[in-house]
Amino acid sequence: MDQPHRWRHHPGDVWGGALMEDLLHQITWPMLAIFAAIVVAPLLGGLLTGLDRKLTARMQGRFGPPILQPFFDFFKLIGKERITVNSTQMLYVLGSLFFAVTSLVMLALGHDLLMLVFVLAFSNISLIMGAMSVRSPFSKIGAQREIIQMMAYEPVILLMVVGIYLVTKSFLIQDIFTYGSPLLYKLPLVFAAFLYILTIKLRKSPFDFSTSHHGHQELIKGLTIEFSGVQLALIELTHWYETVLLLCLVALFFAQPIWVGIIIALVAFVLEIIIDNICARTTWKFMLQLTWSFGIGAAITNIVWLYLAMGR
Amino acid sequence: MEVFASTYALPLLAALVLLPALAAVLSLAIPQKAFRNALVILTTVVMISASSFLAYAIVQAAGKFPIEISEHATETITWIIRGIDAIVLIYVIWRGIQSKRAVAPILAVIQIASLVCFELFFHITEPATPITLDYLSLVLILLASIIGPLILVFGIGYMDSHEEHLHLTKSRQPRFFAILFLFLGVMNALAMSDNILWMYTFWEVTTLCSFLLIGHDGTEISIKNAFRTLDLNMLGGVAFIWGIIAIYHAQSTILISDIVKLHIGPGLEWTFAVGIAMLCLAGFTKAAQFPFQSWLLGAMVAPTPVSALLHSSTMVKAGVFLIVRLSPVFASTLLGNVVAFAGGFTFLAASAIAISQSNGKRVLAYSTIANLGLIICCAGIGTQAALGAAILLIIFHAVSKGLLFLCIGTIEEKIGSRDIEDMQGLMKIMPYTTFITVFGMMSMLLPPFGVLMTKWLAIEASVYLPPVLLLIILGSAFTVVFWAKWIGIILTMSYKPSYPVEKLKPSMSFTLGALLAIVLAASFGFAPMYNTLIKPHLDSLQDISKSLVLQADPSGIYLNSNGFMSGEVMSSFLFGILFLLVLGVPYFFYRTRPETVKPPYFGGELANADIRGIDFIGPGDKVEQIIVHNYYMASIFGEGALTLWTSLIAGAIILVMFGVVL
Repeated sequence: MDQPHRWRHHPGDVWGGALMEDLLHQITWPMLAIFAAIVVAPLLGGLLTGLDRKLTARMQGRFGPPILQPFFDFFKLIGKERITVNSTQMLYVLGSLFFAVTSLVMLALGHDLLMLVFVLAFSNISLIMGAMSVRSPFSKIGAQREIIQMMAYEPVILLMVVGIYLVTKSFLIQDIFTYGSPLLYKLPLVFAAFLYILTIKLRKSPFDFSTSHHGHQELIKGLTIEFSGVQLALIELTHWYETVLLLCLVALFFAQPIWVGIIIALVAFVLEIIIDNICARTTWKFMLQLTWSFGIGAAITNIVWLYLAMGR
Repeated sequence: MEVFASTYALPLLAALVLLPALAAVLSLAIPQKAFRNALVILTTVVMISASSFLAYAIVQAAGKFPIEISEHATETITWIIRGIDAIVLIYVIWRGIQSKRAVAPILAVIQIASLVCFELFFHITEPATPITLDYLSLVLILLASIIGPLILVFGIGYMDSHEEHLHLTKSRQPRFFAILFLFLGVMNALAMSDNILWMYTFWEVTTLCSFLLIGHDGTEISIKNAFRTLDLNMLGGVAFIWGIIAIYHAQSTILISDIVKLHIGPGLEWTFAVGIAMLCLAGFTKAAQFPFQSWLLGAMVAPTPVSALLHSSTMVKAGVFLIVRLSPVFASTLLGNVVAFAGGFTFLAASAIAISQSNGKRVLAYSTIANLGLIICCAGIGTQAALGAAILLIIFHAVSKGLLFLCIGTIEEKIGSRDIEDMQGLMKIMPYTTFITVFGMMSMLLPPFGVLMTKWLAIEASVYLPPVLLLIILGSAFTVVFWAKWIGIILTMSYKPSYPVEKLKPSMSFTLGALLAIVLAASFGFAPMYNTLIKPHLDSLQDISKSLVLQADPSGIYLNSNGFMSGEVMSSFLFGILFLLVLGVPYFFYRTRPETVKPPYFGGELANADIRGIDFIGPGDKVEQIIVHNYYMASIFGEGALTLWTSLIAGAIILVMFGVVL
């Protein structure tokens, strides 16, 4: 009873079984998944960001930059003179990047969803540390606001993980795929709550007070104001990874078949862009109240009924 | 193995219990500083070696290490212990009357009366094996005998400067170190006692030690807080002795190992469950759970080594030790669920209030209360995985918090403040301590460090108790907030860093380094530690639910529900590699393409002549200093807003706890 029936537990079996099929299953697929997470994801993320900028421009009556503009910006930033405000900034930027990549790799390998959420949180904390490491009011206030945002959305994400567990009886992402029907049927309110906090997580208006993609923030660029050149490029890259990761989490709610989930995720993304463009920024207190009442409330309601249904 | 156990048992016990007691006496008798320092170092070496050897012996004996003592000796020791008890209680009454305080003496009188009645009306048969060592007691002994003495070593250097600040004419260090020694010996004795009356006595002695240590400086505030400690813990003592009586009334046993074989339910007299609830209440007071939290918050007036000791390996850990010990008795009963809820509530409330605190030691204190709450919460859930989480958190919390308190003490001594806001740019003043402090904080917050792992475990283990789960989830969101704010302040770097060599007393820098090494070893040695110390203990418990089982090996940590894997964490070594990359890549960058360091951009508002980045051009072209504070959100999370209500709710939960067993 003690040994779980999972291949990851028996690396020895790769050679013991010695079948090509096994080899494909145990080595090739994970390698492909890791490749997709590390290489394909940022390309997708960049394209999505390009799409975001284009759509936003159209909604504002502008022509907008080409879809590939984020990549041009990225390479331009990479080539800039290396300037830093203190010698530790790069550390935090890389911490943020590497842990975001790690969480995406965990997703691709079907790992533990709860641990993934913790690792993703650390990616965010690392960026916050970077912003706080500079004695600049804009950057520091941006960091404080980012911490408040985390405080708001973290419980909802954790509740989402719990909701998924109550349906699949497992914290492993791979078990979402082997589960018989889409999660969305059993977790509609958790899904709604997750879509809601997606706005906070992607730092879209009305919740873009720590930093904003629009040039109308009272903190100028807030959280990221003191980063430049390569650092800024890497932060942008981290953002791409994160966007893909979050959309993947949206897609998980409809994993049978997964292409429906992907369409749902894309629709959600477009929805975020629309919300971003039609909303005015609120205050953090309002966000905290709203998230804690409606976000957490909705997720809990869903979990309570799942829990009661389990008893039957 | 039996031979092995009986040969080495008594010398080991002597080294772990009697040696500290002897050291206490010697410290008082010979007040010379050089002698005391040698004594501290010698005791440290002996205790660390003896506890390691004991660990080896217990693992060899597969966790069963009862120590046979002849009937005659048992009787003598019992009388000695009764004597100790009488001395402690009478001393409390005397101190209380002397200082014109009513609560503690009244509670002490109640205890004496209860004890006398118990001895008179029940014919107690003294058990043959009053001392039993198992894995769980080993965990507590290891903490008290490794972390404890190290904190004393830190005290060698620290107390000199502390007394300098107080301008004492005559050093009070002999008394100070004597009590600390005694404290460690008593903790070991408490962990070993299988006779619950013995444990009760040692429990009261730890209360007394805390009282004496908190009031050590003799200032008005320290006396006041010492008495608060005494009042609340004497209340716990009353609950303890009443619990013993109720349990004896139902089951006629005073052996803990007999009690934990039982499981609350039909077929047992109701007084048994009441007795268990009483013991839980005693654990709550000692572990400073809401609404009893005030004594631990007040305890920080004591010199730093005391705080470090109270928060890490002694005192509060005795409280959670008792509840974890009793967990199989109430696991998956209504009482267990209420205990879990009570712990979870404290975790949430303390984490929330910690957000509003700018006093570093107070943040640490609230964080301790929160973590103890989480331990009690896990013990209340009581499944294999949850109980594993509880014991692991006892260890991880002890090492990290012991380290952090010493760090804050070191920082406070240097910068003269314990306010978080005053710790900006600390790296410039004391790089060594800052580095270790940040590591200590990260170990409370980040993967792959143990505290986060136990949080992960706690959530996955409480998934079938939605109310408890919600408390843990909200609490862990708050935890992130106050740690992130604090680390951010400490790591604030000015534009041109300088790295002075920090002058620290050798005893202090040694202890900080050693504790950091232990923190790292505990987290990276998760799998071997769990497999040798904790899993065998969990396996030996019959009554706990094993539908969710925690497993660990070097490739990662796994949770199996009914034979299927339902949760996993990748190996801590992968995280280690990740950290090395984060540290190494910037260095590589720096070597290939150095960066130009410039003052902050700050929207172009910076004063021109200023390259430090702390002056800006304000309204009316005046040059002003930049001052940015953290958000403390006192209107939402402040003590004024929360303490009263959370304490009332916590009190109500305790009433519910008794309600469900009546």
